Amino acid sequence: MIHDALLILWDCSNSTKTKNENDITVYANEGDAVIFARINEISKSHHKIQRFIEATGFRARKSNADLKMCGLYSQALSEGFSEVVQSYKKTLMDVEALVLGNHNYTLSFVYSYVEKYRGLFNMLNKIISSIEQRRLIGCQILSLLHQYILNGNVRVHEAVVRIFSCTNKVFVNQLCTWLLYGELKDPYHEFFILHNQSAESSETFLSSPSTTNCERSLVSTLQDVTLECGYVLNPNMIPYYVPLSLAQEILFIGKTIILFGFDPKKMKKNSSFVASRTLLPLQKCGVDSRRFTIWEDKEAEFHEKLQKLKNPEVFEVCNLRGVIREIKECVTKHLWTVAVEEAQLIHELRLMKDFYLLGRGELFLELLRLTAHMLDRPTARTSTRDMNHAFQLAARAVFLSNSADIEKFSFELPYIKPNLSTNTSIEEDSSTVSDGWSSIILKYDFKWPLHLLFTPEVLARYNDMFRLLLRIKKTQHDLHALWKTYKQSTSFSMCQLHNKLMFLMDNLQHYMQADVLETNFSRLMDAVYRTNDFEKLKKAHATFLADILSQSFLTVTSSRDSDCSSDIADALNNPVFCNIMELLKLCHSFCSMNNSVADREAEDYYIRGYSDRFNKLVKQLMQLLVSLRDRPCGVYLARLLMRLDYNRWLSGEAQLTQSVTNMLRY
Amino acid sequence: MPSEMITLQLGQCGNQIGFEFWKQLCIEHGISPEGILEEYASAGSDRKDVFFYQADDDHYIPRAVLLDLEPRVIHTIMNSPYAKLYNPENVYLSKHGGGAGNNWASGYAQGEKLNEEVFDIINREADGSDNLEGFVLCHSIAGGTGSGMGSYILEHLSDRFPKKLVQTYSVFPNLDEISDVVVQPYNSLLTLKRLTESADCVMVLDNTALNRIASDRLHIQNPSFAQINTLVSTIMSASTATLRYPSYMNNDLISLVAPLIPTPRLHFLMTGYTPLTADHELNTAPKIRKTTVLDVMQRLLQPKNMMVSLSPDRTNQHCYISILNIIQGEVDPSQVHKSLQRIRERKLAAFIPWGPASIQVALSRRSPYVHASHKVSGLLLANHTNISSLFDRCLQQFDKLRKREAFLEVFRKEPMFKESLEEFDESRGVVDDLVQEYQAAATPDYVHWNPESSQI
Repeated sequence: MIHDALLILWDCSNSTKTKNENDITVYANEGDAVIFARINEISKSHHKIQRFIEATGFRARKSNADLKMCGLYSQALSEGFSEVVQSYKKTLMDVEALVLGNHNYTLSFVYSYVEKYRGLFNMLNKIISSIEQRRLIGCQILSLLHQYILNGNVRVHEAVVRIFSCTNKVFVNQLCTWLLYGELKDPYHEFFILHNQSAESSETFLSSPSTTNCERSLVSTLQDVTLECGYVLNPNMIPYYVPLSLAQEILFIGKTIILFGFDPKKMKKNSSFVASRTLLPLQKCGVDSRRFTIWEDKEAEFHEKLQKLKNPEVFEVCNLRGVIREIKECVTKHLWTVAVEEAQLIHELRLMKDFYLLGRGELFLELLRLTAHMLDRPTARTSTRDMNHAFQLAARAVFLSNSADIEKFSFELPYIKPNLSTNTSIEEDSSTVSDGWSSIILKYDFKWPLHLLFTPEVLARYNDMFRLLLRIKKTQHDLHALWKTYKQSTSFSMCQLHNKLMFLMDNLQHYMQADVLETNFSRLMDAVYRTNDFEKLKKAHATFLADILSQSFLTVTSSRDSDCSSDIADALNNPVFCNIMELLKLCHSFCSMNNSVADREAEDYYIRGYSDRFNKLVKQLMQLLVSLRDRPCGVYLARLLMRLDYNRWLSGEAQLTQSVTNMLRY
Repeated sequence: MPSEMITLQLGQCGNQIGFEFWKQLCIEHGISPEGILEEYASAGSDRKDVFFYQADDDHYIPRAVLLDLEPRVIHTIMNSPYAKLYNPENVYLSKHGGGAGNNWASGYAQGEKLNEEVFDIINREADGSDNLEGFVLCHSIAGGTGSGMGSYILEHLSDRFPKKLVQTYSVFPNLDEISDVVVQPYNSLLTLKRLTESADCVMVLDNTALNRIASDRLHIQNPSFAQINTLVSTIMSASTATLRYPSYMNNDLISLVAPLIPTPRLHFLMTGYTPLTADHELNTAPKIRKTTVLDVMQRLLQPKNMMVSLSPDRTNQHCYISILNIIQGEVDPSQVHKSLQRIRERKLAAFIPWGPASIQVALSRRSPYVHASHKVSGLLLANHTNISSLFDRCLQQFDKLRKREAFLEVFRKEPMFKESLEEFDESRGVVDDLVQEYQAAATPDYVHWNPESSQI
């Protein structure tokens, strides 16, 4: 009978056990039946544990095709279980020896030895059942175990800690290879970082209307750089004690490390890389040589620190965070070195300003001279080629052609098939939309790790700026070209109108270039020189871009605006921008009027019309200042108006009250 | 090569200031006196092509035409280290070498006679440039060659190149000292007529003010021509800085000139420059400590820094038509806006009441090869109605002589004045109109203003 009990406890008589239950009572004393039942209970729970161990253990994984329950974590868990159960087995052996030595021992003697395992087994079974019920895998198991660590029962507590440390080893090892080498050793998708192979990055170089409706979010969108290599966080898998921010940092480090492996200099000419500029094709050749330069001699140190985390005593979130922070700092510094020193980021930023923001005025002046006639018309199939040809010519004219920088830039004029509808008005409409000025794209072929900074979204925004600036420059150029003509004319009112328009364009240009671009760019440069952390640099650049966009009235900067949540481009919503575009149009038609007007009377008629329109628009601009006073973009409008209304003539002309002039004191 | 400029240097004064100008440009672009790029200079960082062109052997050659009727100054140039810089074909000396005898009429007549040869040179030079933007004419208005021949060339430049800009750097005589040229008032007036009618933009370099600045600001007792000319070349090089260096704005002459000159005839510009230091003072003079943008802009608005001597504006009726500041050096761009605002609030500059006007500020680079004694320096180009007082003085001096009918024989010798002296009266009328137009421009009624001569 005692032997029966021992056998049951050993979990040897699986099948017979239930049948025997009724017979037991025959042999036993009255009380023994109860005790036997209890022993049976313990054995049952032990049996469950044993089954779990068998199901998930190492051997099981080899043979079992059913992938549902297997994985590194559950395997580690079962190992942890068997370790804990080991002491139980040892106790049983002791008891057996004692019982064999003395036949007088009763069933309760045996029970007294195994009774202490009841609580533990209950706990383990609870863990098992919740794993099975909730189908927990991977890091979720880790998360679950961590919840059970705090337990009043010392024995249980120690056991759970042991089990936890077993599974934690797996976690730390995965973390370690991810953080230091950017490799994901995770055949069962158990880690909280996932390789998402289906995520092909969609290439939207074109300016896409973004749904951002306030400045803050614009900064974050511009900063939101997808290190596009297919790795994403799996939010279900993040252990509850790891905050999301920390998980993101971990993801970032690994991604960056992977990124270093893709240095094109270290790669053989990979045509798909050049074509798509995504980093999906994985090649190992760079990885080995790269990784050591990132860490230099720190690799061993970090490795040791991470390995220390295997000890559950040390494994605290704050410690984890500390190590991660250190690693991150090292990585971002390295990234900074690569970006700033190897890829000459500062030089590239200057190039961005010189080309996208028309810093090389003389180059674009020459380019306008060569291509204005082409851009006025709807784009043709050959436009892109002609444009680039003209660009080369212009570069040669200002002695830039021999510099390597010029080759990084090229133009694209997307050819849109003309709308072949019978309705003529629509046709006309579409042709005005698709002229070169509104569709021209400046493309930029930057050095390797800078795609972190110059994402398609960022470049699209730069192109928005570029088109606006080019348009202003062109209008200004056209007006200047008429100066000599009007200097010889005798019509004073004509001269005056021309003068007003020219004044407007010159000052708009001054505002854009000096107040907006130069000022913000020098701020950006300050920030770039001050930091050696790539993250901060990225943030500074995003802020720069967001600032120049909002100060050029290309975005709506009010966060309270509710109606701009719709999917219309921001610029269309900004009344200041609309007004400026109207003024540009007015200047444009003024310039083209020169050819069409023959006699004096018609001229007077036109002049009156244009003057009225000009006055109306300027007045509108001034009135906008009043309505936009509380918004950030009102401040910039005030700056622009301060230049325009410098001698208080415009406000006098518009017959506005003194208050507008006073508001220009920003 | 876009926006090239051809420089024409006429007469003694014109060639002297032109010589200084080219000297300065060579230093700023790192070009040796022989026209070879210095080793320390790099290509691509500046735009030498606006004023120079490169010969087949890589020499940089100024787009300059040197003209004179007497050989003295040109000989000095051709004996200087810079002799090899110029294209010898572009140096034209009249064969008899007698000069114009400080006589406008003689200079004009000789200009007419030599017209073919001179314009051959100019045409050749114009053909050699891709996209010529205009001409810069350096001359004085008082002498014979610069004023007389200059007038002839001015009139015909606008005929032959109607689309090109013509900018002049015109030196006005020093009225504080007695000139050795007695007919100077005649010469000045006759030239002023051409400057009013044929030039697009006149940079007034007033010798009176230049001498005053040299003695008051630079503490030079008796300023020499060389010292005055250094001042002039400083202004000339600074006013072309945005053309010669890559920058985001004002890349061609028209973009500098057009905003400054809103009405056709009011195209006489004043200049101002700060900080000024003479060579001999570099080590001893108290440094101008404050060099913020605001300080530079404020100092530029002070009359004592203006390089044109204006009669004091007692009734405060004159005002600026437009202002352009070219600021060179290390500048925090955000200061520009603040400075503009301060000047506006304190009403440091009065502007015209009949149209929009403002101070435009262009930031420009500085030559990396020239050691600058100041962090920031600024040039002011301004169109101010009070410049009429300068022309008014010319008129008064002219009237004094004309009333006495003095020294008219020399003019009568020339074909233009053989028949009658109508040209004098006509010129006087033009200049008088100019003075009145400037005075009218200070009032709101300018919009309805008409020159008296046309109010028939």
